[in-house]
Amino acid sequence: MTESIAISGLVKQFGHVRALDDLDLSVAQGEVHGFLGPNGAGKSTTIRVLLGLLRIDAGTATVFGLDPWRDATELHRRLAYVPGDVSLWPNLSGGETIDLLLRMRGIKPSDTRRDELLERFELDPTKKGRAYSKGNRQKVALVAAFASPVDLLMLDEPTSGLDPLMEQVFNECLAEHKTEGTTVLLSSHILSEVERLADRVTIIRAGRAVESGTLADLRHLRRNRVRASVSGALPDLSALPGIHEVSVEGQVVTCSVDPTGLPLLLKALNDAGIESLTSTPPTLEELFLDAYRSTP
Amino acid sequence: MRLDGTGLLVRFALRRDRVLASAWVLVLGAMVVASAAGTSSLYNDRAEQVAAAEAINASPAIVALYGPILDVHSLGELAMTKMTVLYAVFVAFMAVVVVRRHTRVEEETGRAELVGATAVGADAPVAAALIEATLLSVAVGVLAAVGNIASGLPVLGSLLFGASWTGIGLVGAGIVLLAAQVSSSARAVGFMAAATIGALYLVRAVGDTSAQWLSWLSPFGWGTQLSAWSSPRVWVLALYPLVAVVSAVAALALRRRRDLGAGLLPDRPGPASGSPRLRDALALAWRNQQTALIGWTLGIAVMGVLMGSIIPNIGSMLDSANAREVIEAMGGIGGVQDALLFAMASVIAVVITCFGIAAITRAAGDEHDGRTETVLATATSRDRLLLAIGGLALLTTTWLLLVSGVATAIGRGDGVDGIWASLAQAPAVWLVLGLGLVLLTVRSRWAVAGWGLLAVFVTLGQLGESLRLPAWVVGLSPYHHVPKYPAEAFLWRPELAMTALAGAALLVAWLRFRGRDIG
Repeated sequence: MTESIAISGLVKQFGHVRALDDLDLSVAQGEVHGFLGPNGAGKSTTIRVLLGLLRIDAGTATVFGLDPWRDATELHRRLAYVPGDVSLWPNLSGGETIDLLLRMRGIKPSDTRRDELLERFELDPTKKGRAYSKGNRQKVALVAAFASPVDLLMLDEPTSGLDPLMEQVFNECLAEHKTEGTTVLLSSHILSEVERLADRVTIIRAGRAVESGTLADLRHLRRNRVRASVSGALPDLSALPGIHEVSVEGQVVTCSVDPTGLPLLLKALNDAGIESLTSTPPTLEELFLDAYRSTP
Repeated sequence: MRLDGTGLLVRFALRRDRVLASAWVLVLGAMVVASAAGTSSLYNDRAEQVAAAEAINASPAIVALYGPILDVHSLGELAMTKMTVLYAVFVAFMAVVVVRRHTRVEEETGRAELVGATAVGADAPVAAALIEATLLSVAVGVLAAVGNIASGLPVLGSLLFGASWTGIGLVGAGIVLLAAQVSSSARAVGFMAAATIGALYLVRAVGDTSAQWLSWLSPFGWGTQLSAWSSPRVWVLALYPLVAVVSAVAALALRRRRDLGAGLLPDRPGPASGSPRLRDALALAWRNQQTALIGWTLGIAVMGVLMGSIIPNIGSMLDSANAREVIEAMGGIGGVQDALLFAMASVIAVVITCFGIAAITRAAGDEHDGRTETVLATATSRDRLLLAIGGLALLTTTWLLLVSGVATAIGRGDGVDGIWASLAQAPAVWLVLGLGLVLLTVRSRWAVAGWGLLAVFVTLGQLGESLRLPAWVVGLSPYHHVPKYPAEAFLWRPELAMTALAGAALLVAWLRFRGRDIG
């Protein structure tokens, strides 16, 4: 596996606040990597470090094997960045801004699909920067990023201002880039958008990565929610190892079960005369809340 | 009127402006005290004092800059020469800055929307900005009056003078409030207000030097025509609130006709695609400044020609023995003309420095808002970005100095001394901007302190003489070291030293900017 982004033991201190605290992150080439965490967890700080905007206090970070601080300009020709809170030049039109950003990445706007993207995002490029709404400012940055034939997209909560229709367009564009082999670092606290697109996910909390892996991996580590109805008398499930949050309502029982407790649970239910059973894998929401609640 | 919450907004505005507003009011108050105390100790007897007043009236350049002295026997009027008209401009600008900050800037950033969605009346923000500007104008007027009285000037005159300052503050608030309705861009609003004040100042300058009736058309002429210090025309004081109230009522009416955030001038659509020339940080910085630079070039050119054209007339205005004596002491007509040329060049140089400082503080705003981040996330290196900010600031200000010099020379129509006098100011301007860039690169939030630095340097130059400050304190100001060419010989040493110091400041800025966090 070739790594596009490799971070290990990264520490970034702002005064007394430790924004990043021994963070590890690995993004493989060509994958869409979901970077999840609550507000203030350090997602944007990580991305700013990767862009060479912030100095590192300890640890290492490389992008395409290069030092993001020292080799910033060289790297930036190969990547496009969409900040979470897009601020535009008030007197420049959206079209001018898009073309400027493309040219500053060393790309000729006429060689790109900018016009097609403008249409898909339903963006009026003649409006001045100050006249755009939050969502439209975000679209300006997104069009400039998606129109760039780059190896890496760094997207910091890119859909926070978009309506559901535009989110759909965003997902399509991202999927297209993925097909072309673009590596994507997609930070978000909106889990559903990551769930659909991400190959792998890293969950960050208080400046530290608490979980990392494919969604399947993460799910495997987590409890399934089981709901079953039985005909006979219910055994005391809560006494079994690996089974939690048991509640009984008549002949229906619901509980959470660790992967290790599954055989015992099924046996107990079978013995009680099972009639129906549903098992729900944990959603990313639950994984996320789990990781967020657990003490590091 | 829907004014709910006005009191709350006023308190909030005063809290937000507590540093800026109190500094502004106190500095202006200090200027008055220094001027009042300094002037009375400057002259040994009444004859000398009258001679000085006549010398001022004899010089169209000084009259254009400060306005005439109507009663040459009045010590108060002499002491307040600079304050009556020129410093009144700073009072007006205080109102402009404060009102713009709480009206159009709030609308442009969207904060007005946040406030407007609360139980605050639609007219409350405008009313609150007006009330704050009024409070500050009254404060500065009271401080000026008290300062004058404490310095031993006549009580009535002091009060009337203070009232004229309050009045000009109100006028400034009225002007910017109108401008804030016209354009949806906060920058354009600031530009319109500044241009209006500049135009009114010029109208008065022309009126005071040639056609008196013109001075009555400009609020900046009223301070002189009030004749605060002897046989005052008290009714003139009514003109200020009249203008302010008419502008405020008009602004409120216009405000009700437009949507929040919109301007009366429709926002023209821009081009759908960018010009190939708009391709890097330098082109971007240039694009963001070019309109302002064109405006400044025109303004500086007009000012230069006007001031230059006054210089040759100076001999014809001499009608008093005293004035002639003063002029002889300065080395004859030629010497006076040369001294005036230098004086004009140094005033214009300070004004031109403002253009550069504004560019630097705008770069700090770009960083604060995240636009710097966007630029640096492209293949733009920090070196190139700093070059775009600093290089352009140095280049544009040098250009403006050249324009000013050429315009003055054209106006004077007698040799090219004006060009050299103006360009001689360049090293001082570069040094101040170099320090401004150091502030920006140490921490972007510090960049605004560049204005404070400029104010301190100017104050030292203005007050150093009257307060008899130690030479080394006055010498802290780069402007102090500019050779008084052509009145005195041109000196390379201070010029080269300041250029070298400016270079050192740029080096510090460059090294710092390479190594610091952005944002």
